[in-house]
Amino acid sequence: MRRLPVLRRVSPRQRQFESLTRAHAGDLYRFAFWLCGQSALAEDLVQETLLRAWRNMDSLREAAAAKPWLMTILRREHARLYERKRLDTIELDDVRVADDGAWASPERHGQAADIRAAMSQLPLKYREPLAMQVLGGFSCEEIAAELGEKPGAVATQLFRARQKLKTLLQDDPMEATDHGLS
Amino acid sequence: MDCLEFRRRLGAEPRSQAADMLAHRLECAACQAAWQRAQQFEDRLEGALKIDVPEGLTERALLAQSTLQRQRWRRRQPWLAVAASLILAMGVGGYAWQQHDAHSLPALSVAHMPEEIASLDLIQPLTPHAVKMGFAGRGVALRGPVPSGTTYVHDCMVGPYKAVHLVTRHDGEPVVVLYFPHRQVSHVRNFQRQGWVGREVPMPHGGLVMLTDRGSSRPFSAVASAWTQAIEGHVEARTASLDDGESAAPKAP
Repeated sequence: MRRLPVLRRVSPRQRQFESLTRAHAGDLYRFAFWLCGQSALAEDLVQETLLRAWRNMDSLREAAAAKPWLMTILRREHARLYERKRLDTIELDDVRVADDGAWASPERHGQAADIRAAMSQLPLKYREPLAMQVLGGFSCEEIAAELGEKPGAVATQLFRARQKLKTLLQDDPMEATDHGLS
Repeated sequence: MDCLEFRRRLGAEPRSQAADMLAHRLECAACQAAWQRAQQFEDRLEGALKIDVPEGLTERALLAQSTLQRQRWRRRQPWLAVAASLILAMGVGGYAWQQHDAHSLPALSVAHMPEEIASLDLIQPLTPHAVKMGFAGRGVALRGPVPSGTTYVHDCMVGPYKAVHLVTRHDGEPVVVLYFPHRQVSHVRNFQRQGWVGREVPMPHGGLVMLTDRGSSRPFSAVASAWTQAIEGHVEARTASLDDGESAAPKAP
């Protein structure tokens, strides 16, 4: 006899949390990875972030605000972690990225891997706003509000982040400079 | 916007759709080419930053949350059981009190008044004989003088109890007196219900309830004394005044 699926009552809050997790866990992991540089630590950060989000689910009013809201929580979790385990947290500059599982893809030795290696060498002050912009879709103003800086300062950081990436990639760094006019 | 400003903003926000940047691109071929190269670089950058996500990441996050939720629920369960018991006890207690109160002499007396409200308008004093006959209907023989100013007497059923219903004029104001033969009242108690001010008074062979719709309990002491003397033939100390407060403990005889 064919068994019917078990029906369980799920609260709207739980449904919301599950949807949130399914929609954003991947992006959160990527953002966490570019903050801390370690796959296992990034996954821990994602879990901590989602648990904190679940506890504060009532403060999320709009679906469109979910991703920036989660990324903000993640940043704070990362900062807390950094305060707790200052010695354990390492700069991506020191990471041998080729040893990390996150790089195990067919593109590993291709162009994407070169960009990732270059990204890993950026200092956190450049890497963080760049990841927020590219992965999170934050504007300069939003990043500035998150980091407690002025929009102009953030724009400069983003400009220099790209400039350094291109230098590391031996791309045309002058493209990004104000001297590269042609 | 000049080329310098365009390149600076292009380096900071390559995906910007700002109108002034778009306008500059349309009029500057070099910046248009730079913009196209910037878009290609952004495509490569976005693709590179989107690293593989560990398999089962979402499921592990959901598992962590549901496990924590269950742990919390287990920790709360004993407290919830205690809270539920307390709420149930309060509910049962409240219901029992409501039932008890609904059958009290004050509650039944007030509920009786709407059907007898016209009796308050009577002003012609009854003869002592008529009053005595009213009590005789309930098997009570008056032992003392009938208070003057009694304008109404009737043997009524107040709830399930037999009562003698009287109206006495005190300083021209009507005071309802309900005498319940053989009903025990534990102590003198003032009350207010549905616009009525009242007092119940214990008597040796029954209970007395007085009501007025004039807002003051001032006449109750005199009226209680007069009717105690009429019914019992003497005045007891516990019918003495209780002008303040909602209730009082029984006074020593």
